[in-house]
This record gives sequence, C-alpha cells and structure tokens, in this order.
Amino acid sequence: MDMAAIAVSILIVGGLGAALALLLVVAERYILNYGEVTVDVNAGERELKLNGGTSLLEALTSQKIFIPSACGGRGTCAYCKVKVLDGAGPLTPTEGPYLSPEELKEGVRLSCQVKVRTDIRVEIPRDLLAVQEYQATVERVRELTYDIKEYRFRLDDPPDMDYIPGQYVQLFTPRYKGNKEEVYRAYSISSDSQEKGVIELIVRLVPGGICTTYYFEHVNEGDRIRLNGPYGEFHLTDNDRPIIFIAGGSGMAPIKCMLHHMVNTQNARPAIYFFGANTTRDLFMLDDMKAFEAKLPNFRFVPVIARPDESPGWEGETGLVTQAVERHVTNAGEAEAYLCGSPGMIDASIKVLEGLGLTADRIFYDKFA
Amino acid sequence: MKRSEDQLRLEQILRSDQIVSGGFIGDDPRMVEEIIEQDLATLEHLGRTKEEIALRMAEITEKGKAGLGTYAIIDDRLEAMVEESRGSLPCPFPDKANAQKTVTVARDRHTHEMLRWSDLSIHLIGKHAFFQGTGSRYRLDPRRLVEMIFE
Repeated sequence: MDMAAIAVSILIVGGLGAALALLLVVAERYILNYGEVTVDVNAGERELKLNGGTSLLEALTSQKIFIPSACGGRGTCAYCKVKVLDGAGPLTPTEGPYLSPEELKEGVRLSCQVKVRTDIRVEIPRDLLAVQEYQATVERVRELTYDIKEYRFRLDDPPDMDYIPGQYVQLFTPRYKGNKEEVYRAYSISSDSQEKGVIELIVRLVPGGICTTYYFEHVNEGDRIRLNGPYGEFHLTDNDRPIIFIAGGSGMAPIKCMLHHMVNTQNARPAIYFFGANTTRDLFMLDDMKAFEAKLPNFRFVPVIARPDESPGWEGETGLVTQAVERHVTNAGEAEAYLCGSPGMIDASIKVLEGLGLTADRIFYDKFA
Repeated sequence: MKRSEDQLRLEQILRSDQIVSGGFIGDDPRMVEEIIEQDLATLEHLGRTKEEIALRMAEITEKGKAGLGTYAIIDDRLEAMVEESRGSLPCPFPDKANAQKTVTVARDRHTHEMLRWSDLSIHLIGKHAFFQGTGSRYRLDPRRLVEMIFE
C-alpha cells in the first residue's frame, strides 16, 4: 500500500470518527428527549421538575439554586461539588482528579459534569439554598492602586443581602467584545455588613483574565451588573482570643469586612493586621485602616514593604510579611489567625504561625486557589 | 497548506476568547503551525530546546513564590514576583492539562526589563512549543525569553 492510500484511509477513518462524535453531540442536545425528571434536594426539602439532558449545575441554576462555580462548567475549578445520592451515572474522567477517596465514597460529584437524565437525589448544604441572584447598579468605582479597584454596588433586586463578614459573592461576566463566554468569578465582600443594600468588592486585575478585564475596561458607574451569593465559611469566631490578621493584595477585602464588624459590635479583642506589599505603590486603604485604629483601641495595622529600595521615604516594616509576623507576635499560643491571600502566602504564614506556637485548629484562611 | 479538522478546531479555540480574554494568538495573521515552526527555528538557532526553557521558567516561578507576592531574588541578575489567583485554566490543546492561574513577572535587577508568563505559558511552551501569537497578552518572544532567563 502506498503512502497516498494510507493517508486516504487515515482521513476516512478519522472523518468517520469525527462525524460519529458530532452526531452523538447533536443527538444528545436536540434529538434525545429525556422528558421531565425530578431533582430531589435534601430528602424532599425542594423538589425540582425540569426537562432532562442538562448538567446538574445548569439544572440547579435554572431553578435558582446557586452552586459556586468559577470555570463556566468546564470541570476545572472543582467548586461545584454536590453529594449525589442516586441517579448520577458513572464518574467521568474529568471528575476523578478533583475528588478525594472520602468524597468518592460519599457520592460527591462535580455537578457541572453530571448529566441529569433520570430522577436524581442530591444533598446540598442548607446555606447554599439561601444563596440568591442579585441585580445591582455600579454606584462607585475607586482606583486603589495601579492594578486594584474597589467596586461599590447598589443592590436593586433583591434590595439587600444578609451575609457574614468574611463571605464572598460570585460576580457575573457577560459576553463582551473579546469574550464569548459567560462566567462567574468569586470575590470576597469588603463592605460594612451594617450598611444595607450595598456590596463592595476589591478586584485585582489579572492580565488576560475574562472577568477582571471586563470590569476594568468595560464597567463604569451607573452600569447594571449581576452577582450571586453569599458563599463561604470564613468568618470571625465568637471568643476573646487575640487576633492576628495576615493578608496581601485583594486579600484585604474579607479582613476589612471583619474590621467593620468588630467596630459595629464594639469588639475589644486585641488585633494586629499584617499587610504585605511589594512597594508603597501597592499599599492602599491606609486611611481606612487609620480609622479602624481610631475606633478599635486594641487594633493595630502593620503594613510591610518588601522593596524599601523602591519606596522612597518608607520608614515602616520591611521584608516579607511573615518576617514581620515573627518580629512582632509574642502571644501566638493564645491567639487566633485569619489569613487571606495566595496559597503560597497562606502556606508560609501557617508555617510561621505554627512555629510561634499557634495550633492549626486556630488558623482560619481563605486561599485564592 | 492542507489542514485537518483537528488543526482547524485548535486554531479556532486559540483565536477565540474561550479560555483567556483576547485569545492566544492576538492579531497574528500566521497559522498556529507557522507560529510554532518559526519559533522552533529560532530556538534551534539559539541552541535551546522547548523543554529546557520550560524547565527554567518553572524553576524561576518556584523560586519566585518565596516572595509571597513580592519580588524574590532568583540569582545575580534576576528577580521574580509570583501572583496567584483563584481557579485554573485548561490547556487549549487536546491534552486535558490544567494550569493554576499563576502569573510570574521576571525582572532584570539592573535594567528592570520585565517578562511575564503564566503557568499555562510554561505548559504551552514545554509541551507544545507554543509561545503564542504576536499581540497576545502572553506572547513570549523566544529570543528575548532565552536572553532573559539564561544569559
């Protein structure tokens, strides 16, 4: 057989395979009719009737049950885990790497990868059932640094959100010039939870990021946006232990929200907040922090600059944020720590805090991972 | 040049905004195969392989993480800052790989000349010899990259 014949054979077989795959996709979407199926949530707490054929994540979203998801249903963020008791079908290869042996045993699945073809029974944490979708108006955009902005949203419908300081929302990004995908991205709330009808977020530009590019380049004051929430279990505990806050960049958001809460509740816990930045150009909200120091007599803000050589006039703390923690913290054994930032920063902080005598069960964090 | 369905589909994904804003090719009029071929020729001329480059980039990223979001010293000439965001990005090539949303900014300590890459860039170069098209936010010119990270 000559080369041409081999090439033709390969093309024919490849073409047939591609055509069959395409046919299956089209059939699944347009021809197959699964009819009406029932999604039972939490043993009868909610019973959803819908047409089969979509992913479980889409099915739940269509019924206003919002499961966190940051990858647009591609099975890459692993946020949308849901316990499926019955009717999920076989595990897909995409899901395997994201599920621990314990989760597999319990029937946990990535809801974006589970197709709803028959009746299905799921268990969803009760706090997720309280998540709502909000229409909002951009009331103010404040430039905090060259790559960080604060967005203040006025909630239109529903007009208010009950959230616990430390929680986050998912910000919707529609299709726009340069982006054909609708996506949600998670951002911690930075506002004062006592201020009704308002949500503030701190967003750092990720070059090429679909959501941050949209908000930095296309969203202005007066524009309408969409978000859903609240989500997350990062929050202050209710005790009198001294607090060590550690954050960097947009990790400022949930800590600022917690500080508002401490002011509102006249919380007298001793608290020290280490904030790491590269240069003074990367520092922001210094006035807000001063105001917190004035209102909370036992609170101290410690900005730490890694590059004093590029920060003329800087006389404050220098080095890595963890080095400043080592220099200043003397009461770790009795304290609690709240961390927000990149996985690297959090891992390094945990190591330092444990070295200073803080036990792992008293270190709480929100990783950007 | 005759192109298979797979090649056409790949080019469509790379030119789209499906994974990153602005896509992976930008305003580059060349086909993906041409971009890869020309960049590989440059590498050959420079006496470097895609694997060597990816390895060195990954090493710089790893060392840069020690700066906890600020610049960390890599060697006598380089420093690097690593910024991590929530989530991961899928590889646009059909290999099911995923990369954390991590961006490394490598900077010459003396001239302050900078280059930026993501974890996905490292994978695209090491596995697919794809340095991205001109106009893409994450295009890395092989000559400039080699000069920056090796010399």
